[in-house]
Amino acid sequence: MIELQSVNKFYNLGQPNEVQALYDVNLFIEKNSMVCLRGASGSGKSTLLSIIGCIFPPTSGRAAVAGKQLARLPDRFMTIHRRQSIGFIFQQFNILPALTVENNITLPLLPLGVSPAERRQRAGELIERLGLGHRRNFPAGQVSGGELQRVAIARALINNQPIILADEPTAHLDTGLSQEFMRIMVDLKKAGKTIVIASHDPLVSEHPGIDTIIDVKDGRVDVS
Amino acid sequence: MKNQAIEKQLNLLDYTLSSLWRRKLKNLGIITVFAVVIFLVASFQILTNSLTETAEQMLGHTPEIVVQKMSAGRQEAIPVSYLDRLDGIFGIRAAVPRIWGYYFDETSGANYTVLAVDREIMPAGRSLEMALDGDFPETGEGEAALGRAVAANLNLAGRSTFSLFRPDLTLKSFRVTGVFAETTELLTADLIVTGLEDARDLFAIPEYLATDLLIYVTNPNEISTIARKIAAEFPDTRVLTRPQIQKTYQVVFGWRSGFASICLLTALAAFAILAWDKASGLSAEEKREIGILKVLGWQTTDILVLRFWESLVVSGLAFLIGCTAAYLHILFLEGSLFRPVLLGWSVIHPLLKIVPVFAADDLLLIFTLSVLPYLAATVIPAWRCSTVPPDAAIK
Repeated sequence: MIELQSVNKFYNLGQPNEVQALYDVNLFIEKNSMVCLRGASGSGKSTLLSIIGCIFPPTSGRAAVAGKQLARLPDRFMTIHRRQSIGFIFQQFNILPALTVENNITLPLLPLGVSPAERRQRAGELIERLGLGHRRNFPAGQVSGGELQRVAIARALINNQPIILADEPTAHLDTGLSQEFMRIMVDLKKAGKTIVIASHDPLVSEHPGIDTIIDVKDGRVDVS
Repeated sequence: MKNQAIEKQLNLLDYTLSSLWRRKLKNLGIITVFAVVIFLVASFQILTNSLTETAEQMLGHTPEIVVQKMSAGRQEAIPVSYLDRLDGIFGIRAAVPRIWGYYFDETSGANYTVLAVDREIMPAGRSLEMALDGDFPETGEGEAALGRAVAANLNLAGRSTFSLFRPDLTLKSFRVTGVFAETTELLTADLIVTGLEDARDLFAIPEYLATDLLIYVTNPNEISTIARKIAAEFPDTRVLTRPQIQKTYQVVFGWRSGFASICLLTALAAFAILAWDKASGLSAEEKREIGILKVLGWQTTDILVLRFWESLVVSGLAFLIGCTAAYLHILFLEGSLFRPVLLGWSVIHPLLKIVPVFAADDLLLIFTLSVLPYLAATVIPAWRCSTVPPDAAIK
């Protein structure tokens, strides 16, 4: 599903402030597995997640995600591939607080030309599944942290993408909500999704649902 | 089933409207300022067009040629005997002496224009009656027809007589026989029309002199040729043709309007610069929103379309409000805000009813000068900002 071979990533390449964030990374993530990228802040987790998430290509090496070679994809097609294949859950959820819960969830569908009726129907299913029915038309800025987390999950699933990427999803959640998050991820894995979570939270990395832990340290990876 | 591309545009427009509504105070401010600037520009444009149109309609009834005697670069009374020599010029249908001058009314501080012609020998004499509510004054009878502003200024209050001072400060009385119609007010507002004898009496002008001579020609296409002949025959005269006078009106209104328009265009340019500045400096919240949308699969072009719709809605709304307000301003308030600029600052303003003249090319011109620069001023910087790397949102 996801394969990286000899991937290197430089920021500000060729400039005085050049930084190498990833060194010769090799990894393979199977379809329908749940993987934890574990490492401290600044270790390169987010860079790795960004490459897997088709946000930018590696500086060198091969990266194949859901059957596409990223290095060969122009920016425009990388965006299309991203919205077809990858759902994102951000560290602070990155929800637009002024929009309603439903409108936040359906944001990825707008540029796809999905009709309002279909958007409502797709969002409705997810909203019910994640227990957000009573908050559907609430402004997202007025819902609780746990509900916000579920809004972010629903948004990542709205286009039925096969891969879910989560960047430090439990960083701002208490233990109960973190466990709830992991329970939903396990359910999604059972439903056939491939899940990659970047986290240094032991509650995530030591969760029984995690199939593989990839340790990231100083831009290098160690698969265990 | 709707086309997917149309559905996409509708989705983006829907998002734009909700986005504008979310920042309603800021956008309302922009629309208000923009609409005011467009209102000012459009008002001038409509008012200028309306006045030029009215002037052209009015001047259609004026003589084709006016001959004035010049001495030392100034106009002076012309001998009536010149009329005999004009008979020899081919193409002249009629030549009529005219007396006119200004009368300063100390009571109201206003200048009236006193005008006298012999209606009987004037080809357009009968059309003057059509512009009158009442009768045309008979010469030598102490009768006068008044412009509406003069009638109001003299405060006749039901009386039909009024008096004016002769140069020797004796009083000459007039009886009002009619008031000029509202539609002619641009030209007749300050006018007192009387007979030749009464005007000579009022201004103490001898019988052998007139202020100028009005020439009517047989073929309007020959106006300039006949004017040249008259100028050659009478080197001490100035010969004015109707097209020249029409042009002068156009130039006067055009110049005044142009001057004001330049000031307003400066305001428009300042607004465009402000819009550019605002759009280039997207707030952290706006940048974050763009980053989130891009990570969620929005293309750079989608963001640009979003910005385009946003700018089009703001500027289009401002354009509609500004133009409608300008039209209503001319229709109901008769351009009261700018009339002094275009008509001058004299005590007597023409109180004519202006019918707004708003041509499609004016709308297009104002649209080009307002909406297009705004679109450019907001979409181009937005394009720069929409290239924000999407990973900025997940850091």
